Amino acid sequence: MIIATLCGMGFGTSMMLKLFIEDILRDEEIKAKVVSWDLGSHKGQDADIIVAPSDMARHLQSSESTVVLIKNLVDKVEIRIKVLEAIQSLQD
Amino acid sequence: MELFQFILELITLPAFILGLIALIGLVIQKKPFSEVLTGTVKTILGLLIMSIGIGALINSLVPIQLMFETGFPAGQLTTFVTFDEGVVSAVQDANVAGIGAAIAWTMLFGYIIHILLARFTKFKYIYLTGHMIWIHAGAFAILFHSFGLSLFWTVLLASIVDGLYMTLAPALAQPIMRKITGNNEIAFGHGQTLLNMLGAWVGKLIGDPDDSAEKQTTSSGWDFFRDMAMSISIIMILVALVAVILAVVQIGVAGVHEQISGGQNFLLFALLQALGFTAGVLVLLQGVRMLIAEIVPAFKGIAEKAIPGAKPALDCPVIYSFAPNSLIIGLISGTIGQVAGIVILALIGWPVPLPSMIAAFFASGAGAIFGNATGGKKGAWAGGFLWGFVGWFLISFAYKFGVFGDLAAMGATALGFTVPDAIIPGILIWLVAKLFGV
Repeated sequence: MIIATLCGMGFGTSMMLKLFIEDILRDEEIKAKVVSWDLGSHKGQDADIIVAPSDMARHLQSSESTVVLIKNLVDKVEIRIKVLEAIQSLQD
Repeated sequence: MELFQFILELITLPAFILGLIALIGLVIQKKPFSEVLTGTVKTILGLLIMSIGIGALINSLVPIQLMFETGFPAGQLTTFVTFDEGVVSAVQDANVAGIGAAIAWTMLFGYIIHILLARFTKFKYIYLTGHMIWIHAGAFAILFHSFGLSLFWTVLLASIVDGLYMTLAPALAQPIMRKITGNNEIAFGHGQTLLNMLGAWVGKLIGDPDDSAEKQTTSSGWDFFRDMAMSISIIMILVALVAVILAVVQIGVAGVHEQISGGQNFLLFALLQALGFTAGVLVLLQGVRMLIAEIVPAFKGIAEKAIPGAKPALDCPVIYSFAPNSLIIGLISGTIGQVAGIVILALIGWPVPLPSMIAAFFASGAGAIFGNATGGKKGAWAGGFLWGFVGWFLISFAYKFGVFGDLAAMGATALGFTVPDAIIPGILIWLVAKLFGV
């Protein structure tokens, strides 16, 4: 499974989200690859789940991946719940 | 002797040093061999990709500069692009007199000093914003290198300043960060700190935090600025069109075709240069991404072990979701501030940094959020405006007086630093050096 994190530049916030999500995956013993991308180049790339700040919603309407929108980027509880939910729904 | 020469060349090669940092980081994290190998190779590739990007960027920038120079004959106007990643990668790539190696070593030793300071002082912050770690290491290494110091002294002094910066800047911003986020969990780790604080201080003087910009609901429509490729293209197309029209006014369409565009239609030529510049930026950023993708997790792992319970200092967009209205106010007031700064700089004959959407959105946006935290709506307008206005003066000052040395001679043609956290300490250290006659 590939989880992509997104931000404007593709190495600041998305990198931080990537690190948070890797911590969560380690805790839950879930195997998945987490990559960080910039908003401009996510099209044409494949990911099962895209995790992005909620103000990017409009850019991701046509995405075929499962999109997870994070409202508070530093709320690890929100990230954990939403990401695990998305993983769960993919596995079902 | 041959072997000694080989080793000497190797340890002064930036790509090798950064690859080595990644390698050590990955080994410390006990990653499997295949990941250590790919991580190391990708870090080195990142650096090489950056050099391709900076080449493309400068290739498109030079004709745009030429059009401005033609448009304002007799040297009335110098323009340049303010872009930190561009400066550092160009200087690192050209590697004049081993400066690229000094940058890479400063990145490593500056971070070690940062961890030690955080461990043994009360400032418990871990600076985790990868591109900013690299940019500040670059800025301070370039600064001390320009004083003519040897590699050893350049790396030593730059690492100390860099370590102090990464430890103290988050501490300085923390009182405001508590107001913005409503808790004390995260810190601010971005080179904008000093101008954001200016916004917060002015906001406190002129406004009232209860009059927060966040009390209204937003009407969105500005969110396409989130796509950097788009917003840089738009601003650069505008810049190139202004430049080509100024040139046409001076030497006519035929003159532009003959002297600048190599026969290509002048409008088409301007458009292609603007998009070529953007493409160069995107390639460069891809390189930055690969460079820091392996190093940041390693730094994080080491820092967390060394300083349990420290607050992570994170990239500026982490505060955006707390104040989306202020962010938009900052984008607008910051653009106004940049334009006002550009007009005044042009009038007094100082070098003019071309408008930057990255600065308007990321920097003025954050400045407005800081302003809003202490001074509500008025603070937000002031914070965004001041970032653009004062920021443009600082950027121009550093470029005009060569605070960071002759950047063009080091490979960064028509490029200048943006972040005040590098420029303001840079100016202070430069003044002290002047005082001692360096």
